[in-house]
Amino acid sequence: MNAMARSRLLLVLFAAMALQLVVGSRINIAGVHPDLMVLTAAAAGIVAGPARAATVGFFAGLLNDLFLQTPFGLSALTFCLVAYAVATVQGGVLRGSWWVPAITAVVATAGGEVLFALIGAIVGQGQMLTGRLGAIAGVVGGVDGVLALVAVPAMGWAFRTEAEPARTRSRW
Amino acid sequence: MAVRRASRSRFVLLLLVLTAGTIITLSYRSKANHAIDRVKSWASDVFKPVETGFRDAWDPVANFFRGTVDYGSEKSANAKLRQEVGRLRRQNLERSDQARQLQALLALDKLPFADGLPKVTAEVINTNFSNFQLTLQLNRGRSEGVTVGMPVVSGAGLVGRVVQVASGQATVLLVTDPSSSVGVRDGGVVGVASGQGQGKTLRVDYVPPGQPIHKGDVMVTSGLQGGLYPAGIPLGTVSIAAQPPDSLQEELALRPVVDLSQVQFVDVLQWKPPPS
Repeated sequence: MNAMARSRLLLVLFAAMALQLVVGSRINIAGVHPDLMVLTAAAAGIVAGPARAATVGFFAGLLNDLFLQTPFGLSALTFCLVAYAVATVQGGVLRGSWWVPAITAVVATAGGEVLFALIGAIVGQGQMLTGRLGAIAGVVGGVDGVLALVAVPAMGWAFRTEAEPARTRSRW
Repeated sequence: MAVRRASRSRFVLLLLVLTAGTIITLSYRSKANHAIDRVKSWASDVFKPVETGFRDAWDPVANFFRGTVDYGSEKSANAKLRQEVGRLRRQNLERSDQARQLQALLALDKLPFADGLPKVTAEVINTNFSNFQLTLQLNRGRSEGVTVGMPVVSGAGLVGRVVQVASGQATVLLVTDPSSSVGVRDGGVVGVASGQGQGKTLRVDYVPPGQPIHKGDVMVTSGLQGGLYPAGIPLGTVSIAAQPPDSLQEELALRPVVDLSQVQFVDVLQWKPPPS
């Protein structure tokens, strides 16, 4: 990955964070906000290889953790696992149709919210296993599935290098 | 080649998981936590202009869809009236508590009231950032004298406490958040009220059976030594008061006196718990 691609990736991460802070946190569906940062991690898993996706997920999570009161590093751990899992599963899937990334994002982001609560409970935040977890996973998955139609091409643009057109898989 | 690539991927993942695990462990240690708080504060400052710019662009659009031509002034007038009503409610609630406390007060030197404390008035600029925590974002921060741990009240009573502060912003953990606990009392009876989540009542624990607590009573912060809040701030109205058979404590639930979904202006009390 060259310096230009790294800058683009940084830009996408910061733009996603800014959108989450200002717009995402103001959208309220049944008391739940969409989660753009877990979507960023899932999108990285869709367009990149497992190692690179996990790294992007880790930094997306770390950025997210800066604005949360949950233990620092919890999102980083969750998002790198989400991105790695998506990239690994996507490796065996033909991605001819436009809806495959959207469905992947629905499952990955909903699963990401559940994983976040589970890991949170393991590290001492038992209250995160709330009765609303199903609603949170459902709303986040649904909204992020739609937003994936924008997020995946944006992540593809960020990963693109001169020798490698968008939405092709990374070498590592 | 594919095997090498897969093992390299697994190695990278292992490295990231170990790094994240180390960071989480460090965040529970107070020294490292101070450093993390500084980084968080710095990040809030960096994103503040972006947030402000986005908000300035977003709010008119949202307001347009919500409402009327004169929405801005109506919203402001409505907020001021709501604050005034809330202030009067709090005075009323505190007065009823004061009447009950009168005899006990005669034996005391002084009871610290929230009204006697210096305050920083702030506007709520955002609500929950996370789906797993109930917080508010205020437009006042370190520059205005707000620090971590300060109690936050609205006109009617307790809202929460400051858990993170940047130069011009602060984050408040609401009393309804499941990780929030508040020492409360009703007359001479003390207990601990814990948040149960958005829109839910607070559960009160550690109140022994047979205490004179009734539905409709107002419970206020206890202010006991080591408590996070000064004494006498109304927290909630008792909505359930029952004595389950064979239970070692009363079953009590409180409905917060503040409508936390409608808070627009709050006061940050410049109060710190006395060292124990």
